[in-house]
Amino acid sequence: MNHLYLIVTIAGHRVALPAATVESVVEIDGIEPVPLVAPHVAGLFALRSRVMTVIDSAAAVGAGRFDWQGQAEAVIANCDGHGYAILVENVDDVVEPGVPVTQTRAVMSPGWARVSCGTIEVDGDALLVVDPDALVSINSFAKAA
Amino acid sequence: MDDLLVDFIAETRETLETLSGEIVAWEAAPSDRTRLDVIFRFVHTVKGSCGFLNLPRLEKLSHAAEDVLADCRADRRQPDEALVTAVLAIIDRIAELTNALESGDSVSDHDDAALIAALAQGGGQKTQQDEHAAPTAVVQAQTARGISRSIRLPVDLLDRMMAGVSDMVLARNDLARRLRESGVDPAIDAAFERLSLCIGEMRDSITRTRMARIENLFSALPRMVRDLSAELGKQVTLEIDGGDVELDREMIEMIRDPLTHIVRNAIDHGIEMPADRVAAGKPAFGRLRVSARQAGNQIAIEAVDDGRGIDAERLVEKAIANGILTAEKAATMNAHAKLHLIFAAGLSTAKQVTSISGRGVGMDVVRANVERIGGIVEIDSKVGSGLRLSMKVPLTLTIIPALTVSAGGRQFAIPRSAIEELIRVSSASARLGELGGAKMVNIRGRRLPVVVLAPFLALESQCEEHELTMVVLKPAGGDHYALAVEEVNDHEELVVRPAAPALMACGVYAGTTLPDNSHPMLLLDPAGIAQAAGINTEDRMAEEVEQTIEEIADERAPTLLFRDLDGKERAIRLALVERIEEVSATFTSFSAGRMRLAQEGRIVPLMSCCTLPEAEKYRVLRMTDGTSNIAYAISEVVDIVPMDFMFERAIDPGLIAGVALVEGRPVEIIDSFWLFAEAQKEGTAPDRELLCLLAAGDDPWARQVLTPLLRSGGYRVIFPNTDGADQADVVVMCDEGTTEPPATADEVPVIRLTAHQDQAEPDLVYRYDRAGLLETLRTRTERRRRAR
Repeated sequence: MNHLYLIVTIAGHRVALPAATVESVVEIDGIEPVPLVAPHVAGLFALRSRVMTVIDSAAAVGAGRFDWQGQAEAVIANCDGHGYAILVENVDDVVEPGVPVTQTRAVMSPGWARVSCGTIEVDGDALLVVDPDALVSINSFAKAA
Repeated sequence: MDDLLVDFIAETRETLETLSGEIVAWEAAPSDRTRLDVIFRFVHTVKGSCGFLNLPRLEKLSHAAEDVLADCRADRRQPDEALVTAVLAIIDRIAELTNALESGDSVSDHDDAALIAALAQGGGQKTQQDEHAAPTAVVQAQTARGISRSIRLPVDLLDRMMAGVSDMVLARNDLARRLRESGVDPAIDAAFERLSLCIGEMRDSITRTRMARIENLFSALPRMVRDLSAELGKQVTLEIDGGDVELDREMIEMIRDPLTHIVRNAIDHGIEMPADRVAAGKPAFGRLRVSARQAGNQIAIEAVDDGRGIDAERLVEKAIANGILTAEKAATMNAHAKLHLIFAAGLSTAKQVTSISGRGVGMDVVRANVERIGGIVEIDSKVGSGLRLSMKVPLTLTIIPALTVSAGGRQFAIPRSAIEELIRVSSASARLGELGGAKMVNIRGRRLPVVVLAPFLALESQCEEHELTMVVLKPAGGDHYALAVEEVNDHEELVVRPAAPALMACGVYAGTTLPDNSHPMLLLDPAGIAQAAGINTEDRMAEEVEQTIEEIADERAPTLLFRDLDGKERAIRLALVERIEEVSATFTSFSAGRMRLAQEGRIVPLMSCCTLPEAEKYRVLRMTDGTSNIAYAISEVVDIVPMDFMFERAIDPGLIAGVALVEGRPVEIIDSFWLFAEAQKEGTAPDRELLCLLAAGDDPWARQVLTPLLRSGGYRVIFPNTDGADQADVVVMCDEGTTEPPATADEVPVIRLTAHQDQAEPDLVYRYDRAGLLETLRTRTERRRRAR
């Protein structure tokens, strides 16, 4: 059985997120910034009664900062019991690739290498599969810095 | 136990229901291995639970069935029809007994033995078991099955319900705000009020579903203690108390590991081998007592063992050897601080690493885990006689009383448990200063390091320094400091959720919360801020030194202002004045070369600045320097003020040490040293009272109840670690003989008190036996009294 993937744009690149880890996609506005945290944490956001940690996906892959214009689309993911809202530039589609995930052969930048866990092929394009756990974890950033 | 029994019944019944199909299938094909396994597991579980719940009859039945099934599994026996029938009869009986347990009916046990005998190998019993299997079915039909009032729910569902109710509460608050703003019809308001109330009630009851008895946590301990002590060759009796205390389910999970660790440690390191215990004069069986009790909105969980305790000195040696501590620093630590080294990372006191504990990770993790949920761990050890470890944790993880504050235009919450006081920088009692570039605040003579929240969090400060408010914090396991915030907003009960690891990593946040305005807020971690700001390490030492210096300089000590007999205003340190009293002139007399005051059967020198005027009564200050007493006659008391003892010195030594300004008036300062020296010179023998050393720690009973009794009995009471403690004539201890008496001069009699009337014996006095206590004191001190 093939898994579903959600195609989103992070730091200008189309990537695939395993749909199993994605709870929903929401439009978020009004982030409460958190002082003193690693740059990939953009702040907090209240999704109804739950407090989400907002992840700056661009910072998490070491590609500058997310271009925040007052509102943005975010992928809600639950990693290790905590809710995260991963800011993405665009949400494209849900796909079911015909071939399984293969190892990435290209030499990636360290930021991308850390968060990706393979490549899938969608409509002839090779897309990186991004692991949300790695994207939100503090270690990923500490190593990138 | 009731809860466990209900659980057992529900579980057994549930399994029986699913099992019924398997049983039928097994009957059809007795050699079916998977069916056999399922049935075996069932009787095995029942047997285990019954042993634990003390249900011997069920246990016997299930044990017998288990044995036979085990034989089948091991191919020692072929399951035949007779065996299947016999096992089924037993399972039926288990079902019957389980129902009876719940309904409270009794089931005759006359044929239990026959049921078990039917299991035995051999076809001879076949007819017999047939006979008995049949009536069983009849009896079962007669037993009315009670209606179960409990259900089992996945915790996930509860969590979803809780989240749903939280959503609802937020929506309600939002709606309430909108209704207020738009000023609607009172009828709508009333309807909304009702809805609002329902939602509140619902939240309360759902919150309650999250509570569970701590028994769930304790129930695993007997087995663990048994296994561990067997493995280590130790003998331990476990006492459990307070299992009915209720606690948030999540909280129970959070303290499971710390408690497990503490119990493991107690057995592994605390309780000695039986031979060693006997050699040390203790019973061979070690005792471990685990208890829980509710104290306000906290739960205190305690584990007390009577093992060897923790040797603080060895901890220090080890810490120095491991490079955690420097020898110089160790020299400045008190016993309590030394004991707390057990919580330092990378320190294990076990001589050898064992499989149970002693890998050097342990107590530090325990403390970290408990503190993460807002609790504290305390330790109390008596070398050779035992160790007490107590954890205090909040009742629930979710709701924490907090203070909301603003800094840099943002709101933050501070757990109220850590807050000691709030004080405005602009108020008279706080002075903001600087010390080597670091901000310090002086609050009523106490200097505290300051962390200004806005710059600390790299936020832009929104107000001037003098507009700040100081939140004096006492974090768990740390020292006081002041957190300067721009505004204090409100006290709120906040629903706090753990923050994501990326947030926790910066060490200054304890969690996130969503207040009614729907803007997420961060809960600050006072201990983490202290650590991140670097005030809990080196500066702490500096602060202690400073405090000591302050004590020596006696800066702003409370001082008694009084009008002396010659009309002048004078001052004396309040600490020296025991009490102020009026005495009748008839008790004063000029005898043996000076004025003396006779009172309470004692004579003390009566000092004054000039000759006593003729009067019926005198007002006197009764003063003591710790050994001798004097009285000083005055005219009237003016005030008690905090006062710097910086004054112009008198030219000649005498009654007056100097003069200082108090609120603009010159006030003469009494030279208390001279005063006592003068009284001494005249040859006033030190008190004729005997000195009684009361070694009872901080026991309030000893301080409040016993001390006055001893005083009225003519003894002067002192406490350990005070001046003169080593000159005590007699030592009174309130610990029933569990600790060593403090060091005193040779051959000082020791009298011990007990709280139990029936334990009293010649040297162990029941503590409310007033006459007995005074009599014992008198006889035991006879010799010293004569020596005086």
